[in-house]
Amino acid sequence: MTKALRIIRRGGVLTVLGLLGLVAVYILALVYTPTEVRQGLAQKIFYVHAPAAWAALMAFSLVGTVSGLYLWLRDERLDRFAASSAEVGLVFSVIMLTTGPIWGKPVWGTWWTWDARLTLTLFLFFLFVGYLALRAALEDPGERGRFAAVVGLLGLVLVPFVHLSVYLFRTLHPQPVLVKPSAPSMPPEMLRTLLISFGVFTLLYLGFVMVRYGLQLATDEAAREAHDAG
Amino acid sequence: MQASGPPQNGEYMVAAYVVVAVVILGYSLLLWVRTRRVS
Amino acid sequence: MISWLRQVMLLAGKDLRIEWRSRTALLSAVVFASLVLVIFVFARDPATVPTSALAPSVLWITVTLASTLTFTRAFALELDQGAIDGLRLSPVTPGALFTGKYLANLAFVFTVEVVAVPLFLLFFNTTFGSAWPGILGTLVLATVGFVAVGTVFGAMAIRTRFADLMLLILLLPFLVPPLMVAVQATVRLLAARPLSEIAGWLRFLLIYDIVFLTLGALVFPAILDE
Repeated sequence: MTKALRIIRRGGVLTVLGLLGLVAVYILALVYTPTEVRQGLAQKIFYVHAPAAWAALMAFSLVGTVSGLYLWLRDERLDRFAASSAEVGLVFSVIMLTTGPIWGKPVWGTWWTWDARLTLTLFLFFLFVGYLALRAALEDPGERGRFAAVVGLLGLVLVPFVHLSVYLFRTLHPQPVLVKPSAPSMPPEMLRTLLISFGVFTLLYLGFVMVRYGLQLATDEAAREAHDAG
Repeated sequence: MQASGPPQNGEYMVAAYVVVAVVILGYSLLLWVRTRRVS
Repeated sequence: MISWLRQVMLLAGKDLRIEWRSRTALLSAVVFASLVLVIFVFARDPATVPTSALAPSVLWITVTLASTLTFTRAFALELDQGAIDGLRLSPVTPGALFTGKYLANLAFVFTVEVVAVPLFLLFFNTTFGSAWPGILGTLVLATVGFVAVGTVFGAMAIRTRFADLMLLILLLPFLVPPLMVAVQATVRLLAARPLSEIAGWLRFLLIYDIVFLTLGALVFPAILDE
């Protein structure tokens, strides 16, 4: 039991640091960064939307790859990690799905559009939900681990197909402003804030996953003790 | 032609930042409650 | 040890024979497809929405929804009488089990399509005209993919309490890309676009099929394992 508690504690520290970092990001984004001329204040949503998207995508990719590894190696730690990453990923994809339209309405004039990125966001959300729903519906831990891993792996493989099929239609999403061979077309305050925000969201992801992992470990061990005793 | 400033859409920014804070803090709270139950 | 091909044939044959005796799943899928078609005919304003505008979407929605009905059935059979343990214990390789199930499911869905497509043409007053080889090809390609994913998820969903709901939740994200592409291909085919324009869409379907058939066969043992 203590190992689980240690993991939870460490995860908790990371989470608290992440939360403090988030406060810093809020101050930086709302006060320090200049207002963008074309999009107005709404542009600042970018500083939380993009890092959340990054975290959700990272969470999803990890669920997929770790699921594949689990199917191969059958190490229950992998399953525990995948479950944790899925739950945390769901949280970040909810942020993506809400901040996306809130940003879209003032900037593109519409709450929703079936462009490449918003659609992928929705898919990720449904895949996370499906993964977690299946886990919740299965009692036997072995079956739960294996079946969830199948969904995780297949889900990851699905993403390029989603991307490709949606890309075959026009996209409204703003073109990437960061990745350019020369300097990014962003003033330094914006870039700095954005990078710090990416770091903070990554930290939050790690903290959340660690705590969730520890909780899962604790539950699994308690279940095992009950099973052995009964 | 008059130069116009940036569009007045601060309320969207506020809404988004509030949502993010609520979700992140909410999930943190949820995890914290679960750890209470376990330890 | 019987050859792999023979195993597959035996397994698929068993499923088909069992289903043929009662025909319930087949009939329900056919009835369902017909009802969906009728609903689509009436759930629109005939003055402003010509059937031709809806036709490709209706065809594909009907086909995908009706086919999902068959996927839980495939494993419900076994769940009923603990037969799945019997299968597991028999000297059948899991690859053969997946392929056998898959082929049986494929046969069912094709049968449903054989009934649904002419009905669709009838109710929607359409003909495929010279586009019909292309549409047939698209139907086959898309169906091969749907059934692959449906077979895998059907096997898992059946172990949960709300199997049909779970199947839909799991399956729908996987059906959307091929569905989207199939509709696009059909739209172009019906507009008498040359086959070269459709090639890219069909290639997408083919790759989807290959990827998910392979993956399905690879993960199936994990679903059956103890």
